Amino acid sequence: MPAANTTTMNDKKYITLCFNDEGPMLQAIRKLLESKEIILDVQTPFPVHGLDKLLSIKRSRIPVGGFFLGILGAVSAFGFMTWVFTVSYPLIIGGKPFFAAPSFIPITFEVTVLFAGVSMGAAMLIRSKLKPDIDFEPVDERITDNMFVVLVDKNGGNTDIEKLSEVLAGIKIMEIR
Amino acid sequence: MEEQFTFKRNHRIFLIAVMAGALLTALLSVIISGIGTSRVWANILLNNQFFLGLSLGAAFFIAVVRVSLAGWHTIIQRLPESMTAFLPVAFILMLILYFGIDNIYHWAHHEDFDPVIEGKEKWLNIPFFFIRMIFYFTGWIALTWAMKKNTDSLMTSADIKYFNKRKIFAGIYLVFFGITVSTSSWDWIMSIEEHWYSTIFGWYVMISMFVASLAFLILFIGFLKGRGYLKDLRDDHIHDLALLLFAFSIFWTYEWYSEFFLIWYGHLPEETAYFVPRLNEFRTVFFLNLGINFLVPFFGLIRLRSKRNANWVAIIAAIVLIGHWIDYWLMIMPGTVGSESGIGVFEVSVTLLYAALFIFISFRALAQGQLVVKNDPFLRESLSYES
Repeated sequence: MPAANTTTMNDKKYITLCFNDEGPMLQAIRKLLESKEIILDVQTPFPVHGLDKLLSIKRSRIPVGGFFLGILGAVSAFGFMTWVFTVSYPLIIGGKPFFAAPSFIPITFEVTVLFAGVSMGAAMLIRSKLKPDIDFEPVDERITDNMFVVLVDKNGGNTDIEKLSEVLAGIKIMEIR
Repeated sequence: MEEQFTFKRNHRIFLIAVMAGALLTALLSVIISGIGTSRVWANILLNNQFFLGLSLGAAFFIAVVRVSLAGWHTIIQRLPESMTAFLPVAFILMLILYFGIDNIYHWAHHEDFDPVIEGKEKWLNIPFFFIRMIFYFTGWIALTWAMKKNTDSLMTSADIKYFNKRKIFAGIYLVFFGITVSTSSWDWIMSIEEHWYSTIFGWYVMISMFVASLAFLILFIGFLKGRGYLKDLRDDHIHDLALLLFAFSIFWTYEWYSEFFLIWYGHLPEETAYFVPRLNEFRTVFFLNLGINFLVPFFGLIRLRSKRNANWVAIIAAIVLIGHWIDYWLMIMPGTVGSESGIGVFEVSVTLLYAALFIFISFRALAQGQLVVKNDPFLRESLSYES
């Protein structure tokens, strides 16, 4: 989950909490939200179930786009084959009629998947502004391996490490800085 | 957590009344409207196969989730398990076919020399037919009973060995079921048209069974939830079941298409013999089958919100359940009854009779123990499950 506001490493306006498992991380996030702390970002090595709901992140509209582009793919593949085999270049294949609808189904299916899949991938890249030379520096290199990181806003000095350790007492935290 | 399902007296009386009423209506419609003998037997076979499929599909479901060590289903695991309690009854109902075998299967009584039937004589003869039937049912009943017994033990004891044993039986069941579901569907359905064969037929029937039993399971859960049981069951569990229903409806369509497409494309007379009457005389049912079992669950359950809405999922499940009954109807009727077949008062009343019996037996089995197995090691995972 990359976000623009975590790229500034030098003037640290946030506290970094590191966890080595998703369980304690989710527990900590619940506690933080209870005590009205501002969570800037959460970075995880893999998608964590229930995290989106916890952070009240709005559901992505990518599946909707995928659905309609899939329909577009289905219609264009079926339509194209119909046009080719009935109007443009009619051929008798295996004694079947020109408009042999069942034999169009496999290709229609494949083009549907292609359109839906590629368009969803492209939409994801565009919406999250991911491109080859992206200026993104992870908070910690280890999030690409096995570490879970939660960034909490210092809130203009109202929140500091001592306060957070108090709030999160009893939860297994790897590092806090 | 500690829940006990009680099979209330008024529910019992209602189900018995439905059975009696349906039996009476069926008998009356045989006498008044003169339903032919082959139609009566074909209906018995159809409903035997359909409700047997609900049991076997439910057993397949629990076997799969146990072998794969899934945790989410733990809270509802006793429901599919109680659906398998119908298997001994289905065994008796299938054995009754002995008295009507001539009315269903042409190979059982053909007089003229037929080289195709002659060639299949070694497999399709009456003694071996029933020997196989006894073999299938013995295996299914024994394995589901073994799984059920270990679950019952988990209700009282927290010993992990019952859990492990159950997993082994689930694995054996999967292997046994995978083979016997194919051969049994050749025996009971495909041999109706004994000149025809299709290698995918067994898988097609198996997926039909599984989708129908998922649909029944969703309705079963809906009923219990509506009566205030299963308080810990959330939308997340419904979501997973709806997802399975959605996915396997698509898979059913894949099987349907694979069978149809190759036969249509190859255009060999001995293969198209199956689809020609279905596309000519049963055209409406043929496309209705595809529409109900593919388009309804596909567009009905494609959205996330519709998968998490228990009432909506139950409506789709009810439609799909009827759809798979129609699927079996289309497999069985054209070959046995032919042009005289239809879906009328007789069909509906026989199906209601079976449905009431199936529900009665499932409810009785469910009432015999706690609704939630509290010693199951995966219970905590199921309770805190998020999808």
